[in-house]
Amino acid sequence: MAANFWTSSHYKQLLDQEEVDVVQPLDREKGITLEEFKLIKMQMASYISKLAQHVKVRQRVVATAVTYMRRFYTRKSMTEYDPHLVAPTCLYLASKAEESTVQARLLAFYIKKIYADEKYRYEVKDILEMEMKILEALNYYLVVFHPYRSLVQLLQDVGMNDMNMIPFAWGLANDTYKMDLILVHPPHLIALACIYIASVYREKDNTAWFEELRVDMNVVKNISMEILDFYENQRMITEDRINAAFSKLASKP
Amino acid sequence: MTEVDLSKKVADRYLKREVLGEGTYGVVYKAIDTKTGQTVAIKKIRLGKQKEGVNFTALREIKLLKELKDPNIIELIDAFPHKGNLHLVFEFMETDLETVIRNTNIFLSPADIKSYMQMTLKGLAFCHKKWVLHRSFSFCAWLIKPMNARIDLKCILLVLDRDMKPNNLLIGSNGQLKLADFGLARIFGSPDRRFTHQVFARWYRSPELLFGAKQYGAGVDVWAAGCIFAELLNRRPFLQGTSDIDQLGKIFAALGTATPSQWPDLAYLPDYVEYQYVAAPPLRSLFPTASDDALDLLSKMLTYDPKARITAQQALEHRYFSSAPLPTEPEKLPRPALKRSKASDFNPQKGPTVFSPPRKSRRVMPEREGFEGNAHRLDKIEEHAGEVKQADGDIAGRNEQVPMSIDFSIFASKPPSRPTINSADRSHLKRKLDLEFQHPE
Repeated sequence: MAANFWTSSHYKQLLDQEEVDVVQPLDREKGITLEEFKLIKMQMASYISKLAQHVKVRQRVVATAVTYMRRFYTRKSMTEYDPHLVAPTCLYLASKAEESTVQARLLAFYIKKIYADEKYRYEVKDILEMEMKILEALNYYLVVFHPYRSLVQLLQDVGMNDMNMIPFAWGLANDTYKMDLILVHPPHLIALACIYIASVYREKDNTAWFEELRVDMNVVKNISMEILDFYENQRMITEDRINAAFSKLASKP
Repeated sequence: MTEVDLSKKVADRYLKREVLGEGTYGVVYKAIDTKTGQTVAIKKIRLGKQKEGVNFTALREIKLLKELKDPNIIELIDAFPHKGNLHLVFEFMETDLETVIRNTNIFLSPADIKSYMQMTLKGLAFCHKKWVLHRSFSFCAWLIKPMNARIDLKCILLVLDRDMKPNNLLIGSNGQLKLADFGLARIFGSPDRRFTHQVFARWYRSPELLFGAKQYGAGVDVWAAGCIFAELLNRRPFLQGTSDIDQLGKIFAALGTATPSQWPDLAYLPDYVEYQYVAAPPLRSLFPTASDDALDLLSKMLTYDPKARITAQQALEHRYFSSAPLPTEPEKLPRPALKRSKASDFNPQKGPTVFSPPRKSRRVMPEREGFEGNAHRLDKIEEHAGEVKQADGDIAGRNEQVPMSIDFSIFASKPPSRPTINSADRSHLKRKLDLEFQHPE
């Protein structure tokens, strides 16, 4: 988004990690833990990416959709609003907001293709109904900033804009959407964290360049640590844990 | 459960009044906000027939207006779903600039014109400042790092109000002018994005758009504002082309044919065609009543090369706005007399209190046809323009309670129910008719 981040609604809506890490009361009643809450959101982020690949939209549409979904669940429960409907609807809404509309019937078609399971199948009608609810829950704020633009510019500035480095850093940025970072940190700091990790990984000493930037390097390092922790934890996620989380959600109280 | 309660409460907040008009994607009606006592305009957005949920254009408008809060930009007060339709609540606007310009009962002093221009430019400058960022600038703003010269300066990222025309400049009861109808405004994303360019109301379209430029900048808004400036000065649309080609012809006839020396990129524009060279007549001859400062600013806003054209912010800093007479305070600006209830009997939807969407039903005005002659006839009319304006002043003075007999919006749509004409109006009307019909070529 080409606009001034500091005066945007995105900046004003940034949350503390503690505010993001709240399992809604209705979900808690079903025994869903914070870990499971995060796991479901991560699964839904992947679901959005998968759908997006089928309907062929740009990465920033995916990023916006995931951001909508994550914002939505800081306010609404998964018990009342099924993630398997919220996720594709967020993609639908994001495609409109990012000016590359995907038809709802196309999404409904691919939902059926991805899920053989009846209970995850949703029709056009369901998506359109949910669209309105999501708009309301987001309080109609639709503009979202992402790390990608600054990432490319910064890589150029630090002199790491080679064909080796760009895909690596870009991939890191994509993976940050498996976490809640976009709700907590300004996007350019997320971009810097990706570059920081990439620099360390490729053993390129960019200390001087980082020092020259007037940003709080502690924040950048913390974000980097979070990303690395995420990759670490990623290995422990098993199919069983994912299924357990979804079956808790599906349970009748 | 909570969902239902919420939407009911929100809908109960507003007391529905009369319908103001039918827009492209829904009905607009007047309402009272019971929470604040404020009069509002509610745009009810019909869900698309093709089962495509919330209208795309409406969504764009919501997206932008939620980010743009400024005294000179229409305020989106609230949004809520009700009975399956999305409703947008806007502050209520009494009239629009087009209505003011066309209302011959209103005399606009140089200070009034200055005030309208200042508000228009303030709204634009805000949009451009908030959204329009040079890539290098956004880079610096984010990192607060010394500017890096290597960053590409060419790419401009912005939101443009691509529907800049007088009837999208609404005027509130306090006289404040506000930019509205952002349905067509659009955020410019990455530098290589291309857009359709056939959306600007032609008369306000800049030459780069007319020559098919796919990448354009904030300059298109400034050009449109320049045309509005000219329209305020002469009280009729400045360049009324009947096609894009004709529009360019009209522009070149008024301002001289553009040359590559003034505008180096000219020949590289996709739809560029060479026009026969016409020298520019002195701008003074087109605007006999304008001050030197006004003409200087106007010429800078109507500069051909978008790169050389003045920006909205620079225009606000132009000496025109600091020299005497100072801009009229918005509350003191002349406005059309409010319609009496009698008027609304035969024409309830087309009064001066319309919100932006009904414009389409209101566009045709008889006097325009008369003025839309060939170029050399315009000059003759020009000689009388001051005189007519003077007459307007005599009739209306600065009084708000003016007779509404020559309200062309009514005149146009319902000729049989023409209101009575008093003698002052009759002589005025006669003079107007003389202008139109007694100048055979």
